[in-house]
Amino acid sequence: MRPTLAAKWVAVVAGTAIVIALPFVVSQFRAVQLATVAVYFIAIVGLDILTGYSGQISLGHGALMAVGGYTTGILMTHHGWPDLATIPVAALVGGAVGVAVGIPALRLHGLYLALATFGVAVALPTILKKFDHFTGGSTGLSLFSHLTGHGVGVTILGHRLTNNDWLYALTWSIAIPLFLLAWWLVSSAFGRSIRAVRDNELAAAASGVNRATYKVAAFGVSAAYAGVAGALYAVVSTFVNPDTFPITLSLYLLVGAVVGGYGSIWGAALGALLIQFLDDIVDVLPGIDPKQAGPRTFFFGAVLVVVMIVLPLLTRLTNRVYTRS
Amino acid sequence: MKKLAALIVLLACAPVALASSSATPGVSAKEVVVGSSGPLSGEAAAAAGVLRGAEAYFKYVNGRGGVNGRKITFKYLDDAYDPSKTVENVRQLIQQDQVFALFGVVGTNSNLAIRDFTNAAKVPVVFSQSGATTFGKDYVKYPYTIGYLPPYAEEAEIYAKHILATNPKKAKIAVLYQSDDYGKDLLAGLRRGLGSKNAELLVKAVGYDPTTSDVQSQVADLKASGANTFMVFAFGKFAIQAVVYANKLGWKPSLYINDVASATAIMQLMPQSTVQGAISIAFGKDPATPKWANDPGTKLAGQIIKKYVPGGNPKDGFLIAGMASAYSFADALKKAGKNLTREGLMKAVTNMNEPANPFLLPGIKVHTTPKFRFPVTQVSLQRWQKGHWVLFGGLQSARP
Repeated sequence: MRPTLAAKWVAVVAGTAIVIALPFVVSQFRAVQLATVAVYFIAIVGLDILTGYSGQISLGHGALMAVGGYTTGILMTHHGWPDLATIPVAALVGGAVGVAVGIPALRLHGLYLALATFGVAVALPTILKKFDHFTGGSTGLSLFSHLTGHGVGVTILGHRLTNNDWLYALTWSIAIPLFLLAWWLVSSAFGRSIRAVRDNELAAAASGVNRATYKVAAFGVSAAYAGVAGALYAVVSTFVNPDTFPITLSLYLLVGAVVGGYGSIWGAALGALLIQFLDDIVDVLPGIDPKQAGPRTFFFGAVLVVVMIVLPLLTRLTNRVYTRS
Repeated sequence: MKKLAALIVLLACAPVALASSSATPGVSAKEVVVGSSGPLSGEAAAAAGVLRGAEAYFKYVNGRGGVNGRKITFKYLDDAYDPSKTVENVRQLIQQDQVFALFGVVGTNSNLAIRDFTNAAKVPVVFSQSGATTFGKDYVKYPYTIGYLPPYAEEAEIYAKHILATNPKKAKIAVLYQSDDYGKDLLAGLRRGLGSKNAELLVKAVGYDPTTSDVQSQVADLKASGANTFMVFAFGKFAIQAVVYANKLGWKPSLYINDVASATAIMQLMPQSTVQGAISIAFGKDPATPKWANDPGTKLAGQIIKKYVPGGNPKDGFLIAGMASAYSFADALKKAGKNLTREGLMKAVTNMNEPANPFLLPGIKVHTTPKFRFPVTQVSLQRWQKGHWVLFGGLQSARP
């Protein structure tokens, strides 16, 4: 039995209430970490539309985030745009690149597509370094001087927000509407069509669903989400360089999407929290010295394995409890 | 139900922390907390020795009662030489760990990446491990930033002068440089030093990206230029690769190795037949040099390493380089006084007058003024002979 519509609305309202309440109880540093969680949340929701709903695996979503991040970075540093104005542009550019990747991807399925998108993620840093007069090369671009509030703080309607609270408010007030939009999308005719294509392309085509259009559209929508996430990531970290969007980011996003429940956008917050706080979880393990890199990397992998084993079990358990009640 | 579980985790993952509001973060009557970030892993991990050396020196100072009654707590994080990670680390150090100041952050790109943020937050970032000119020169815009190493451009100028003095007619120079502000500063300094002879003597300069995997093709390019003099303006493993590939290709140029790659531990990894006679500069005492075997400074460093760096090699030049800057930092902390503030620290580090840092070459004065922010501007040339460095020519000025 699936959760009812009412239960979903309760979750949205409760989630929003928690998001509003959190900045009053957490430290400044946690606030900026949770802003990064919002960024991952947006990217994972987008990735879920593509991978979970339309069945196209992307191992290159970090690269699509980089497209958004660099759109913001270049507009801000070379053209003096304010950060907020760059976000819709990042969505458009990200979406356009997504469509451009999505068209050739029509010929690829499953693992082949995963590897092709992975190739994009691997190649992108080199491309970014090649055009260094534009992208700042490996030194990157510092966005600081054009940030709203100049990294010090922002006053909204007479309320003085610290910079970290501002970043938190900015990212989450974009993340929640984008989540609602995604929810609407996946439960609309569009969502039903991409799921039909995922489950059986032939049957979908026979029922009049244009396979190619929907697959490419899913890529475009998903990449637009990644573009927004990348733009916000750049704003939050005040800085972009090729290493801001490493290959591991693409992998983590997929891990986050899987942890949050493959084919469901409802667990995206869980996946986003895991990506952000895995490092911190490793640090609290006994005997881990943050000054020594080796054991830390090892436990990072170990924790990841444990999480991947335990979380699906938990999900199944909660589902069973829910079904019984 | 799934999302309810998700929300519960969300709450659990956000520990409640109460904001502390003392006068100056990181300072109490008994303690001062100092942060840093550097490559503890990855391509440039050798430089981690600088942070470990500084940490050992602070422990030594703490063992003797600390500075003005305060123990120095030194907290440093790994950034794997990746500037975006440095930004994250520094944010954590300032906002979560509430450090008083940052000290000895490693790398030019890393320091560039954090400069805007730290200056907006008015947190001192002092004695950074970079010799990029901008950290000394642009103090009007970035008053809370100051480097430590001799400026790269002037270092290269000294190499240029050495070539003009010893081989002005036949030298054909090839340069391998890291394509960031560090490598470009060195290249610009070399060109300036060669002056009117630049076009004639410098036959080829090839850059490499600091995140690349190797520099083999660059070295082959440089060899093909027909050069007989090879400037290695590269760091860590790239410097080693440069010499190893030159050796493999049967290229035997006169070598110049920039200071940051000239630690004895790195030099000993290079093919000795190729590296014999290589030229570099020095400003710290190299514990592996026989000349300093009985020097009180290197002896003290040896004792500190033995006591505070488990498994540390007492001949590791990175450790003693870290101690040199830590000595200057402790000195500045002391001058900043009992009533320690961030402004007070900046005043102290921009009014340095330290005639005898035991870990620097005798005669070097660590000297700054509010308008002259290059702490170390005296260096000596040195030549690699039979497995160690030999100083020659006395101290020279590297003032910009």
